[in-house]
Amino acid sequence: MVRFLKKSSESPSSIEKKKVYNSLEKNIQEMKYLFSSNRNKDFSMRSLKIKFNNKEGCLFYYSSIVDGSKIDMHVIKPLLENEGNTVMNVVSIENIEETNEFSKVIQYMNSGKVILFIEEDASTYAMDVADFQHRSIFKSENEPTVKGPQDAFTESLNTNLSLIRKQLHNNQLINEGIQIGKRSINEVNMIYIKDVVNNEILEQVREKLNNISVDSVRNVELLEQYIEERPYSVIPTVLYTERPDKATSYLEDGFIVLLMDSSSACLIVPVTFWSFFHSPEDRYLRFLYGNFTRAIRLLCFYLTLMISASYVAISNFHSEMIPPDLLLAITASRERVPFPLIFEVLIMEIAFELIREAGLRIPNPLGPTIGIVGALILGQAAVEANIISPIIVIIAALSGLSSFALADLNINFMVRLMRFVFILAAGAFGMLALTGVFLLFFMYAASVKSFGVPFFSPMSPHFLSPEDTVFRKPVKKELFRPGYLYPKDIQKKSKS
Amino acid sequence: MIRVIVLLIFSILLSGCYDRIELEQQSYVIAIGIDKTEQEGVYSFTYQIANPEIGSAAVQSGPDEPPTEIVTVNGSDILSSTYTANSFVSKKITLDHTKIIVISEELARSEDFIRVIQSASRTPQIRRSVQMLVSKEKAIDFINNNEPIMEKRPHKYYQFMLNRAVQTGIIPKSTLHRFFQITEGDADLFLAIYATTEQSDQKKNTEGFEDKYIAGEIPQIGGSPTQFMGSAVFKEGQMIDILDGEETRVAQMLDKTLEMEDYLATIPDPKMPEYRISYNYYQKKEPIININYYKNKPTEIDVNISFQVEVIAIPSLIMYSQSKKDQQTLQEALTQRLEEKTNALIEKTQNSYKSDAFYWSLYIRKHFKDIKEYEDADWHKNIYPNAKINVTYELEKMEFGKMINDSNLEDVRD
Repeated sequence: MVRFLKKSSESPSSIEKKKVYNSLEKNIQEMKYLFSSNRNKDFSMRSLKIKFNNKEGCLFYYSSIVDGSKIDMHVIKPLLENEGNTVMNVVSIENIEETNEFSKVIQYMNSGKVILFIEEDASTYAMDVADFQHRSIFKSENEPTVKGPQDAFTESLNTNLSLIRKQLHNNQLINEGIQIGKRSINEVNMIYIKDVVNNEILEQVREKLNNISVDSVRNVELLEQYIEERPYSVIPTVLYTERPDKATSYLEDGFIVLLMDSSSACLIVPVTFWSFFHSPEDRYLRFLYGNFTRAIRLLCFYLTLMISASYVAISNFHSEMIPPDLLLAITASRERVPFPLIFEVLIMEIAFELIREAGLRIPNPLGPTIGIVGALILGQAAVEANIISPIIVIIAALSGLSSFALADLNINFMVRLMRFVFILAAGAFGMLALTGVFLLFFMYAASVKSFGVPFFSPMSPHFLSPEDTVFRKPVKKELFRPGYLYPKDIQKKSKS
Repeated sequence: MIRVIVLLIFSILLSGCYDRIELEQQSYVIAIGIDKTEQEGVYSFTYQIANPEIGSAAVQSGPDEPPTEIVTVNGSDILSSTYTANSFVSKKITLDHTKIIVISEELARSEDFIRVIQSASRTPQIRRSVQMLVSKEKAIDFINNNEPIMEKRPHKYYQFMLNRAVQTGIIPKSTLHRFFQITEGDADLFLAIYATTEQSDQKKNTEGFEDKYIAGEIPQIGGSPTQFMGSAVFKEGQMIDILDGEETRVAQMLDKTLEMEDYLATIPDPKMPEYRISYNYYQKKEPIININYYKNKPTEIDVNISFQVEVIAIPSLIMYSQSKKDQQTLQEALTQRLEEKTNALIEKTQNSYKSDAFYWSLYIRKHFKDIKEYEDADWHKNIYPNAKINVTYELEKMEFGKMINDSNLEDVRD
């Protein structure tokens, strides 16, 4: 085992040191060896006689990730026909890099460049002709809004960047690339506004990214788990979104956005509870309308966390709290149910989770089946079979439905998980335990920090901010950027 | 560390659920009746238990199931006899949702009443907001005879019946809390709801004042046999008399702690006494009660009540709305009548009860340095019976409804 580890750590370092040879023959051999040309089918090479210096040359590329016509038009044709003194002046490609290390060559090859070796030349030229396949821009499906831009990120870094730059015309908007991964070197793009973002936070994120030592990080969904502080925590500390407008609004406030070429979403750090609670539409809607939806969402947050647990606690321990009409109705319907009440609630909650999970995984043509079967489990049939009482259907439906109002996937899972903890607590000691567990959870949440930012700031601890927490102020009255980020420029809008 | 966690988990698991009880394992008592028995210290307790299956849309109940189950057992206090009752009631009897406690007049008038009701204040199961009701007959008969026609479910019946009757002022709001508060304060009188299911000699409406009845006397055709009217007067935890509906209403008008919305009444038309004017009485402001306490001479109590009146019917067809002078006459007639009624009640309380039914002792307490001094001054024996009480009524506003003029009789019959 130890021997094996040693061996594997040796081989990359030997490549790292290797310089490009002066002889084309040797270089070709080396390349063929490095990329296992006899087996690798999309590894391509093309030899040619370069016109301007009258030497032999050879091009290498992966045919699957380059634009063939571009190579033809802007590389091969000029090299064969055009006159000039250097390669730079001959080919008509916008991006050419020169290098003399094989390690770089490998990296360039993998990122979709064509490599040119020339006889009696100890350096190579990498020309960007990459054409990675990706979807075109679609409507945002997981975070839909009625009012507001509809486009969503797609699996292409350049497209995503263009979506951001389209909204933010600012020369201070920086796109900084950081390479991570050992075997597959991927690039994470850190986007921020230079004269707003706090340097310490920026440095912290940069350090986190540089410290990731792993073979490969394929996409931002995995990256999220590499950069978060508490992987076992129920509370998320990184915001994940597929909406460019949401990302841009966070950039403007001094947050940092992380993008990768392979994901149709971005990460936003640092976050607070409010970032999960808000939806971009709250800001697009007028002051009153937006705050109304916030109020509804807050209610949903409470309902989905607490309603099942409260029902268990009240009916098992505090029946005097239920109005007599309701009490008698519940009692009557429960007389024929064989299970304890807490068990009933758990059955329904789990049934709802089942439907949700199955509905997510079921192939599209079978989709309608879920509706039919789900209605059976969650509806009249279950009541008639005397497995549950009708009020549980309402409770479970209410708690399930409310959870959808919390659109962010991370916070959604947090709430769904905590719900079960609350139900069990309520079943053990009633309201006492429910209050206790909620208090503990709340205390824990308040202690969580995301890149040094307390989870409930700017509400507690208090910071100068746009005061956009549960409710928001009219847009015209938001004077400051969030103070908990310590931005370089806190003033967003001058008074008057 | 792991041991501690395991210990913690086990202690939670083992101690959890200790007072958990499923809803369907309980029987909910709506009304409790207390009666005397021949034996000293033993009372008979009647529990009216709601049948949850009645009125529930989700469950079809058997056609013969009654809306309530009424059981009576003998015992020494409210709670312990519920366990005796479990020898024939199948579920745990829970008193959490009790709406009223019915006490027979016989028991209420006995000295032992305070002993048996005391346990109601001790148990957390009985709310302090439970209403106390004194029935003319035995409580067991009251509960058994009480057969609401529309609201079959007992909790709904009591809720609606008491709410509305309290709003009109013919019965007082008589919570258990107020009973203990007044009884232990050792001043003032407590008014409890008076009701019956037995019809007694029906009084003729001789004076024409609508509510000069006590329960059982109201001529009634149709409807439920139970009548709620008037109040039982408790002094020092023992019932001493009955006030009729009108007196109960006056008492509530004078009492800041009780709320009465409005009522309809009539007075003889001051200009044509053979007809009667109906009006709606509102009391929007609290009465102003001023007490001047003197150590050596009678205490002065000044009460000022401002009220509003909406005239509803003027059968004499006199145009009161058009003449300032006529309005003045009507106004004087109104205040005079109210003052008469009030003074009569105050006289009754001063002379025969020797205490007030208006909770006025609240406003004299500030004149004393400590409780002992206040108790020595003795509200029951000394202060109230000798006090000079002056009640004035002030008409704030008089309205004449949506039509100002009545039909002109001469124009109609030409």
